[in-house]
Amino acid sequence: MTTAPILAARGVSKFFFGNRVLRDVSIALQPGRIHALLGENGAGKSTLINILSGALRPDSGGVEVDGKTYRALSPRDARRAGVAVAQQELGLTSQISIAENVGLGDFPRRYGLIDYGDLARRAKAALDLVGLDEDLASPVDDLPLGRRQMVEIARALFREPRVLILDEPTSSLSAHEAQTLTGLLERLRSKGVAILYISHRLNEVMRLCDYVTVLKDGVVTADRPMQGVDAADLVRLMVGRDSGHLFPEWTPVADREPIVSVAGLSSSVLRDIDITIRRGEVFGIGGLVGQGQEDLLLSLYGALPASSRSATFRGRPGLPRSVRAANDLGLAYVPADRKREGLHLAHAIAWNLMLPSFARAAALSLRRRGAERGLAAQLADRFTIKGDLTRQVQVLSGGNQQKVALAKWIPGDPRVLLLNDPTRGVDVETKREIYGLLRRLAGEGKAIVLSSSDTPELVHLCDRVAVMRQGRIVANIERQSLSEEAIVAASMGAETARAAA
Amino acid sequence: MSAAAETGARLYFAVQRRRNRDARGLLLVAAAFLALYAYLFPGLLSVGGFAKFSQSWLPLALVSMAQAIIMIAGGVSLAIGAMVSLGAVIAATSMAGPLGVAGGAALVMIVGLAVGAACGAIVVRLGLPAIVVTLAASFIVGGAALLILPRPGGAIPAWLSDLLAGDTPVAAALLVAVVVLWKSYLATPIGLSLYSAGENPVAAYRAGAPVDAARIAAYAASGLLSTCAGLFVAAQTGSGDPVIGEAFTLNSIAAAVLGGVGFLGGRGAMRGAIAGSLLLSVMINVMYFLGFPPVAHYIAQGLIIVGAVALPQFTGRRSGA
Repeated sequence: MTTAPILAARGVSKFFFGNRVLRDVSIALQPGRIHALLGENGAGKSTLINILSGALRPDSGGVEVDGKTYRALSPRDARRAGVAVAQQELGLTSQISIAENVGLGDFPRRYGLIDYGDLARRAKAALDLVGLDEDLASPVDDLPLGRRQMVEIARALFREPRVLILDEPTSSLSAHEAQTLTGLLERLRSKGVAILYISHRLNEVMRLCDYVTVLKDGVVTADRPMQGVDAADLVRLMVGRDSGHLFPEWTPVADREPIVSVAGLSSSVLRDIDITIRRGEVFGIGGLVGQGQEDLLLSLYGALPASSRSATFRGRPGLPRSVRAANDLGLAYVPADRKREGLHLAHAIAWNLMLPSFARAAALSLRRRGAERGLAAQLADRFTIKGDLTRQVQVLSGGNQQKVALAKWIPGDPRVLLLNDPTRGVDVETKREIYGLLRRLAGEGKAIVLSSSDTPELVHLCDRVAVMRQGRIVANIERQSLSEEAIVAASMGAETARAAA
Repeated sequence: MSAAAETGARLYFAVQRRRNRDARGLLLVAAAFLALYAYLFPGLLSVGGFAKFSQSWLPLALVSMAQAIIMIAGGVSLAIGAMVSLGAVIAATSMAGPLGVAGGAALVMIVGLAVGAACGAIVVRLGLPAIVVTLAASFIVGGAALLILPRPGGAIPAWLSDLLAGDTPVAAALLVAVVVLWKSYLATPIGLSLYSAGENPVAAYRAGAPVDAARIAAYAASGLLSTCAGLFVAAQTGSGDPVIGEAFTLNSIAAAVLGGVGFLGGRGAMRGAIAGSLLLSVMINVMYFLGFPPVAHYIAQGLIIVGAVALPQFTGRRSGA
């Protein structure tokens, strides 16, 4: 217990654009220990990893390597100290070979050239460790996703690290590959490597790790040995924010006839999804980031190809085959990445507000400037978008941009609003306004589908919530049993963890 | 030691073989055109005929490589043609003077490296779009070429013209030498890192690859190849022409695209670009022999480029489904 840590963060804080992502976080990685780092989406895990590996500099606090404190650790310092990270988002070069990818950034040299003999030997050793017996010379392009993840881990092992950081290593691995990895990590632990393990699979974490640090909203809520903790405790430590009076009071609408019902919706990502959306409700979609939520919304919106066993949209059979068809059926979509997909940043606020109306107008009809101005002013008033509407959208704050992205659909009187993480990066005050607006729209009889990475918002705003994992809906939670614990447990598969324990 | 060297060689050549895979179809098409050309013009199979053909091909091959390097680094260059002109006028004005042939050739190379590296530094360090920087560079470099030699003139020593553009296939040997140099560059850490820097610079940086250096070096190498192509063109004509390179900018892009080099960075291989330039050269020669009017060359060239680029889309979609 008193072993000196190889790598440690001491009282680290980090701000992004004025938002505090980490507050006074300390973590110590000791040799011969597998250390779990847990937290919800956006709790600050990736930021902490980037600070530990020198990719980001903390705004206050420091990083300690072998007892020496660095105010600004560089990636080179970290590498020299033996810190290796296997990233979650895949950073391999598809056109060059497996061996060359494993050695990238640390090629053995002879006479200034890459020493292919040494590279072959050491890459083979690293790939053997992760149980990959693919031809060293084949390009990474040829490998399926899970194998690529193994190559990424082999790249970290190639440097013979003293500290190994694994960011969600098993998210794309098969059960067999995950088992190989588990065995490998246990072997590395016995050799005295310090391992930081980030995963959303609680059962895996509890089986493998010796020690756990939990982050919630950038603050450490637990830092203790794994022994004596159960899955429910961990989930509780990850959630449970003070929601205050951020959310509007409401009584569910009695009239809730189905407006959209789809059975057996499948695509390259989605697996056999049944979904019914009713008038006057806010229907939440939860889960970890990237479990198919966006694909689900886009498939309903006709923007991604999908198939279904049966589908009815406002009484008409079949999925919409194009965005235009979806708009005609009364569907509207507000994307998560509003800067890229939702708005035309360099154009005026009023112009953005009118865009969907232009699409509905006859192609060569004349614009009616007066009517447009009136409508834009009316929308701005209703959505409390303040100031001159002829300014460019990009001058608005994130929250107000989001209101423009939402308001532009209203003149077309949509019946179903598909919202993809509408409050991401939005300040608290605007969040409150958006929540109020969504409830009001639902009260008018519209159906709101709200995909969100923010769990409290699903709990306090929605009539029911579907939780997605790996392209499936794994839980449908009705209002009376909605809680953050229930959503997080379902999205991480903690049910099975408890059963296994 | 010898066992390690042997597995190293085996790995190296296995990697190279895999990389040939994508260029195979294109090489077959180019070979078919080459056979047709040889059938129409049996003189191609003589030493002199082969020498002439390789001389007509070499400048395009060099600029296609210059373009492909920048495209692999994730950019595109509009300054290739202007660099060719600059190389030609520097060669034509310096080689007959006190610098001599060796000094003039060195000057051509140094200017190519320096101008290329400057473009690369602006693109990489300031984060500006390559297409804008190289467009600006094409005006500046093109203007500089006109300042050095306002109208065609200057001179290349006759013996050099005879050596490079005479009856011996020196051009083919030069191309082989350039390819060998490129292969050795790709076998260095900074050379191989170019692919990673082009495809995913953030991930490459995190893996510890020299991303900025690899990209700037790519621009410098591209500049070097372009001015050397200019030197060769000047030797072919025996004099310098300040606008002789203009057509090379778009032809270099055409050849690289034909060769499967992608616009998004990190995609494609040099052998593809070279095969693409071979196909373009042979095609032009064949159409000339078949008596197509010159205007038809352009139309046929355009159709073949669109066809060649669209073809993998169709076959890829079928195998992907």
